[in-house]
Amino acid sequence: MFDGLFNWFYQFQVSFSFLLLSAIGLAVIFGMMGVINLAHGEFMMLGAYATTFLAVKGVPLALAILIGALAVGVFGAVIEMLVIRRLYGRLLDSVAATWAIGLILSQGMLILTGPSIQGVSSPFGSFSVGAISYSWYRIVLGVVSLLLIAGLYILFMKTEFGLRARATIQNQPIARSLGVDTARMYTLTFALGSALAGLAGGLFAPTATIVPFFGTNYTVEAFVTVIVGGANALVGTPLAAASLGVINAALGTKYGLYIARVGLLLTTIVIIRVLPTGISGLVERWRMRPARQR
Amino acid sequence: MPRRTSWLSAENIAFVIFLIFMIVYPFRTDDFGILNAAYFAALTLLALSLSMIWGKAGILSFGQTAFFGIGGYLYGIYTLNVLGSAQTWVGLAVGMLAGGIVAAILGWFMFYGGVNDVFVGLTTLALTLVLQTFMAQTAGPEWTVGEARLNGYNGMYIPQLSFGEMPLYGRPLYFVYLAILIGVYLLLRWLSSTRWGYGLLALQENRPRTESFGYNVRLMQVQVFALAGVVAALSGVLYASWGGYIDPSSMGLTAAITPVIYVAIGGRRSLTASMISSMILLKLSQLLASSAPEYALVIFGLLALLAVLFVPEGFVVALFNLIDRHLLNRGGGNLPGMTAPVEEVTANG
Amino acid sequence: MADAQPLLMLDNVSKRFGGLRAVSDMNLTVGQGELRCLIGPNGAGKSTIFKLIMGFERPTSGTIAFGGDRIDGWPTWKRARQGLSIKMQIPGVYPELSVQDNMRVAAQNHVASHEMAESIRGLLARVGLDGLAGEQVKNLSHGQQQWLEIGMALSAKPKLLLLDEPTAGMGPGETEATARIVESLNADGMAILVIEHDMAFIRRIARTVTVMNLGKLFAEGTITEIEANQDVTDIYLGRS
Repeated sequence: MFDGLFNWFYQFQVSFSFLLLSAIGLAVIFGMMGVINLAHGEFMMLGAYATTFLAVKGVPLALAILIGALAVGVFGAVIEMLVIRRLYGRLLDSVAATWAIGLILSQGMLILTGPSIQGVSSPFGSFSVGAISYSWYRIVLGVVSLLLIAGLYILFMKTEFGLRARATIQNQPIARSLGVDTARMYTLTFALGSALAGLAGGLFAPTATIVPFFGTNYTVEAFVTVIVGGANALVGTPLAAASLGVINAALGTKYGLYIARVGLLLTTIVIIRVLPTGISGLVERWRMRPARQR
Repeated sequence: MPRRTSWLSAENIAFVIFLIFMIVYPFRTDDFGILNAAYFAALTLLALSLSMIWGKAGILSFGQTAFFGIGGYLYGIYTLNVLGSAQTWVGLAVGMLAGGIVAAILGWFMFYGGVNDVFVGLTTLALTLVLQTFMAQTAGPEWTVGEARLNGYNGMYIPQLSFGEMPLYGRPLYFVYLAILIGVYLLLRWLSSTRWGYGLLALQENRPRTESFGYNVRLMQVQVFALAGVVAALSGVLYASWGGYIDPSSMGLTAAITPVIYVAIGGRRSLTASMISSMILLKLSQLLASSAPEYALVIFGLLALLAVLFVPEGFVVALFNLIDRHLLNRGGGNLPGMTAPVEEVTANG
Repeated sequence: MADAQPLLMLDNVSKRFGGLRAVSDMNLTVGQGELRCLIGPNGAGKSTIFKLIMGFERPTSGTIAFGGDRIDGWPTWKRARQGLSIKMQIPGVYPELSVQDNMRVAAQNHVASHEMAESIRGLLARVGLDGLAGEQVKNLSHGQQQWLEIGMALSAKPKLLLLDEPTAGMGPGETEATARIVESLNADGMAILVIEHDMAFIRRIARTVTVMNLGKLFAEGTITEIEANQDVTDIYLGRS
């Protein structure tokens, strides 16, 4: 009984952290800037490469992951200034442009490093509950995702940066008239989203083979989570990762990975139809209710 | 001071040159070249399908490959189960119909539910990935439909379109494909110039306003989406028959976004530009793939990036505009209304 | 009430947005060939009335009848084909299309194609835009865009024309030209319902005036009666 329950919980938290980490960088950029970054998967790939490269050289894994995330964040800032900045208000064009960037990155990585590089194994070993063995590292990933959400909450709700960023999303002209450098806010936000993608790539690096097309393993799930979560990365994305995590874990244990993915995608199509603004929109409406009745 | 309108525009001249080239080409090349060009024609239908909904009705779909795959697979399933060369043409109709029906249902689901703009892109993307993921897990022998084995990523065997006992091959194949491509192109251009086509142009800019002029906007969106679904499915049938083979990657992420890039580079507002750009870029990507396989996609990505950043109306359309302005003394040819002839205007003046 | 059935009749119409009552229990009639002005302070619910008539919004309760049919359940496009036409507050023209194409889009569902060129030419002359058929609409002045939109609304050959602030942003000369257009249309027998803030313009064109305040019918009468009504002056000055 406990074994079965634990197994289920383990599968759920693996799905949850997988979806959340894959999606959070994309969600920050989409939610705050309205830009859909189709190079998201390739940004994750860059993080995975940087982390692996450093870890193989002997840098401690945690430090390697952080440096990787930072590097991808800086790279994101450069991309924002060179490309994304010119395409605000042209959503579909920014989609095409980021797709092209993704293509250049994955193909460029193929040219530079070949079809794959040596990976690092996942640390911490494993433990057993009943007859089944589980990875400690995957548990750590679950804890990291929760800490990440808490960290982002503090960043956006309790800091000067967060205040300025929220003012910029709410009303760009007014924020600018109040002295917020909105162009800089966009650059920083895009850099933050990129760094989060790099962080996720680094965190996943020990669990996967490191190939130039690393990102494609996560792209679809990341998009699904962001669509279901809606524009609010702090509220929508964790809730979406949790609810999709349930679906994913349930279908995955019963029917396998493919059917789980089909289930996620079909759920998403239905969600777009009934909740076009995602879970964030639903939460927003629910929060507005008492105000209206007053 | 009404606009001078005649058939003499850069767009039409380009179409005629393109047509002449495509007719002469098979007599100037070898068997491989002919087959290759037929393959391009089949895939270019997908670009036309996207140009019709994105350029003429403002609906961006990332999932035309879903209907492409439905067309290809359904054609295969039908022709493997109902044998006979005449049946291959029935199979073609079955594939197109299936694409159209699925597109109509999805279109009804989206447009009558108020799903628009970027969410249409995401819904269609999700649909094509659903189909890809589903087909990917059909490798096992239990996944058969009658005589047809779906076969997952190993790919499904597909019979070829045939006349009598002869499967289409070589020049006949090429000219059948070319005739279909040109026929669809002319049909779509004619439709764009009708009352319905003008309504689409209008709803692309402002849906509620257009409805208040008496247009049944949502129905029109479903109609054009279904039409594009039929064209995409036709593309899939021709592709599958050409190679005798289809697999789930034809509905994957890369396949789905490629036509968007072709149309964006050429110019989505013009069917002619989309068609020519698709043919050129297919050829280019093949050239690059054989001479410098690693660099091919990098160059291609850069090209797309440059187009989006510096020539947002599209390279081919920009060229049309230059020719129109400086050689033909016409107004900008990328204006939506210019892509369709307006006979009434000539009477004015 | 007049002996003939009114062309448009709103009966106890209410519209809520969440907890906000934009329109409550509003009654309004427009007779055949009538020219009526709808006035009231900002937020009175005037534009919401137009949206309800045109079908951009559905009433929470109450009925709307037009030409003898109950239309409140109809989609917008069907109302338009039945003879309702609107010039919106924010210009509802297509900036990327030419003047000619704008007119064509507006006329297609109402004018046979062999009469199209003639019809468009006539209407452009009527709204003072002859000679600009080939111009792209985003290059027109604000006033010209307003007139174009009136022309577009007219090409639907409406039985009832809804004009939402037709003189907004216009100078005195343009306002006068607009007044002449409205008067000549009404003289041809077209029923017109106008939302306006410019009292001089209303005085110039209006026969009957309906005043709304806080989503409700506040007063009704001739322009002289309304201008003499102290309560109406008060609500405009925020003293109600």
